[in-house]
Amino acid sequence: MSLPFKRVIQILPGIAFIAALLLPLELATRWNLVNRVFIPAPSAVFATTYDIIITGQVFAPLLTTLSLLAGGYAIGCLAAISFGILMGNYRRVYNLFEPLIELLRPIPKAALLPVMILFLGLGPAMKLTTVGLATFFPVLINTVQGVRAVDPVMINTARTFGHSGAAILWRILLPATAPYILAGMRISLSISLIVVIIAEMISANGGLGDVIVYGQRMFLVVESYAWLVIVAALGFALNFWFRWVERRTTFWVSPSNQ
Amino acid sequence: MKLVTPQTTPINGQSIRIEGISKTFSSHGGTMLAVDDVALSVRPGEFLAIVGPSGCGKSTLLQIIAGLIPPTSGRVFLGDKDVTAQPAHMVYLFQQYSKSLLPWMNVEENVMFSFTHREQLSKSAARDRCHEYLQMVGLTAFHSYFPWQLSGGMQQRVAIARALAAEPHALLLDEPFSSVDALTRLDLHALMLDLWTQKRFTAVLVTHDVDEAVFLADRVAVLSHRPGRIVDIVDAGMPRPRLPVTTHQDPRFIAVRNQLLARLLTKPDAADVPAV
Amino acid sequence: MAMVLPNHASATGGGKPTRPGAVAPAAKRGLVAQILDTRASGILLVIALLLLWEATARFGWVQSQNWPPFSAVMVALYRNILSGELLAVIGQTLWVTLRGYLLGCGLGIVIGFAIAMWRMARLTLEPTIDIMRTIPTTAVIPPLIFVFGLGDPLKIFAVAFAVVFPMALSTASGAGAIDPIYTQVARTFGLPRSYVLRRVYFPAALPFIMAGLRTSLGLALIVTVVSEMIAGNSGIGFYLFQTQYAMRVTDMYAAIILLTIVAYLINRLFLTWEGRVIHWARTREAT
Repeated sequence: MSLPFKRVIQILPGIAFIAALLLPLELATRWNLVNRVFIPAPSAVFATTYDIIITGQVFAPLLTTLSLLAGGYAIGCLAAISFGILMGNYRRVYNLFEPLIELLRPIPKAALLPVMILFLGLGPAMKLTTVGLATFFPVLINTVQGVRAVDPVMINTARTFGHSGAAILWRILLPATAPYILAGMRISLSISLIVVIIAEMISANGGLGDVIVYGQRMFLVVESYAWLVIVAALGFALNFWFRWVERRTTFWVSPSNQ
Repeated sequence: MKLVTPQTTPINGQSIRIEGISKTFSSHGGTMLAVDDVALSVRPGEFLAIVGPSGCGKSTLLQIIAGLIPPTSGRVFLGDKDVTAQPAHMVYLFQQYSKSLLPWMNVEENVMFSFTHREQLSKSAARDRCHEYLQMVGLTAFHSYFPWQLSGGMQQRVAIARALAAEPHALLLDEPFSSVDALTRLDLHALMLDLWTQKRFTAVLVTHDVDEAVFLADRVAVLSHRPGRIVDIVDAGMPRPRLPVTTHQDPRFIAVRNQLLARLLTKPDAADVPAV
Repeated sequence: MAMVLPNHASATGGGKPTRPGAVAPAAKRGLVAQILDTRASGILLVIALLLLWEATARFGWVQSQNWPPFSAVMVALYRNILSGELLAVIGQTLWVTLRGYLLGCGLGIVIGFAIAMWRMARLTLEPTIDIMRTIPTTAVIPPLIFVFGLGDPLKIFAVAFAVVFPMALSTASGAGAIDPIYTQVARTFGLPRSYVLRRVYFPAALPFIMAGLRTSLGLALIVTVVSEMIAGNSGIGFYLFQTQYAMRVTDMYAAIILLTIVAYLINRLFLTWEGRVIHWARTREAT
């Protein structure tokens, strides 16, 4: 009986703080203390957000952005994990590619957008490639590190029981490397979200980035903020989903060394 | 636990013979001879121990026997078969049990990991076999636990159960009792002897604990300081079954232990001269 | 007892798998193996790729206006640096990055300590941080143009917005993960709270703070470039699109190379500084 009550008490300060941020803004716009054309009332923004969702306007931009993100992210992760396992496992592959990766890694991937546009145009190929590239490097670096940190005792254990190379890959190498890979994928997720939005802003593809920037150019101030709320919700949901995946896949890591 | 006399159980293990095994490691600068021309044969169902100072190449030798690393020269035979540099049906029990158990598998899955890929067994048959071996080490109740939820001694018991569940021709033990506390170690010694008596696999134990070697083994081989060479082989002829308290007081145990300790505590150069 | 690593250590007799197809004839094997077993192979690969770039552009194997020879890009880089054009552009970018970074990180560290030390601060601030930190910064920029206009304040705000929340979280996790024995020791000696904060909490959290500062540095640079692309009137992000529209691709490539070098050097410098600051905590460094 007292437990839920305690939880309510605990979330109260957090809610109060958010209210303390929004309420003065609301009142200031109501009383015309700030220019309402540029800074809309939070209530108006939330009302518009609600409208966008209820009327189904939200679906087309959301799906466009999500499919670009999912595609680029999946391509980048798969390429990085398989390449990272090769590099981590084979000294010579590592030697061959390490300097090249060291050179390419520090490039802020968003700076490659103008180049991508030159070669791939403004279509989805350009966006998928840029998102894929932004995803690739953090996952790759972490995978290589993870594979090299796998304890040889584990691999020898599998060998002493006569397991094949494929079994060692699937049952030892990948699970043992999973915490590293996931750490890289977490970094990549937030970077690729940043990159997909900017790519959409530039290419006017009808995605979330595009509608936000359209709102800004057309002076649809309230709409622009409303779409921002939707993007924020998307980021929050993706992060929540990722944490769930992380918990599911690395449940076995002992709490002491997590 | 019932004690079965060796005479009544059939021998399951195969003989191991190694000939002229040498191993050179090369690191950045130069080369290092770790094992030098070692020959040894182990009878089917025998328990052989190899003792030596740390860094003498004991584990390297055992890993060569297991086929985990190839020798620079020499051959390894299991029965009549040449098994040099291939993981044959011999199981290696690692000292670092906490790393050899796979943390993402529970106890049951860890044990099944050792045999389900080799033998086509129904799910229930595999589980029965798994539980048979877990029962031998007294951990049936913990089958669904994950490694980090178990104590060190329990983890090592799981590792032992997993090794035996593969029903290997030979068990290779790499100081498997050295990282548990003293009482747990005595407990695991008794358990190991009991399991060996029941299953009669061939066992090769590598250790730097002379008491442990004499207590467990039929014969004890002494390896010299680097490069590892066999300088002595001693019979530990105490009667079986051996029991922690009485066997340690047996005059033969004390005599053999003292002889081995004297051998190991001499200067490295002196140890190079073969025993007469 | 030395274990042989199956992957990394090399043992005579071939302890590691190498593909037999890659082995050269016996006479040359020594040299080839030596190249393959060191970074030399990788450096050769980079040189080969650059030569390929040069050759394909120079001999017209790739016929494209977007594909200037590597040497031409390097000449442009040299010329544009000397003329001061690129230095001005990169200077604008770095000046924005620096101000936003310092603002965001400073604020983040303060918030992080507050969260770790006072329960009430955690309960009050954590929900807001949890919501804000997952917002992709790029999406924040266009609506904020209404508030800040197109000048530097907008970009500084964007950079600070991007780094403040991750920074607060890593500081809080560092100060929160402090071994209770330290605070107990401090309490037995009856030390004042400000002293404990300075001499106990701060050093204990330092490895985490440094890790957060390093990640934030890269993030700050990306966000600066991106905000210059969206709200463009200065800086390298704007310059990249300007040169692209004007079909000055050689200058564009030169700018990307300069940006990469700068990003690399900043990271290198930071690593050196970090190594000095937390030399005592190398093993505890958060990954």
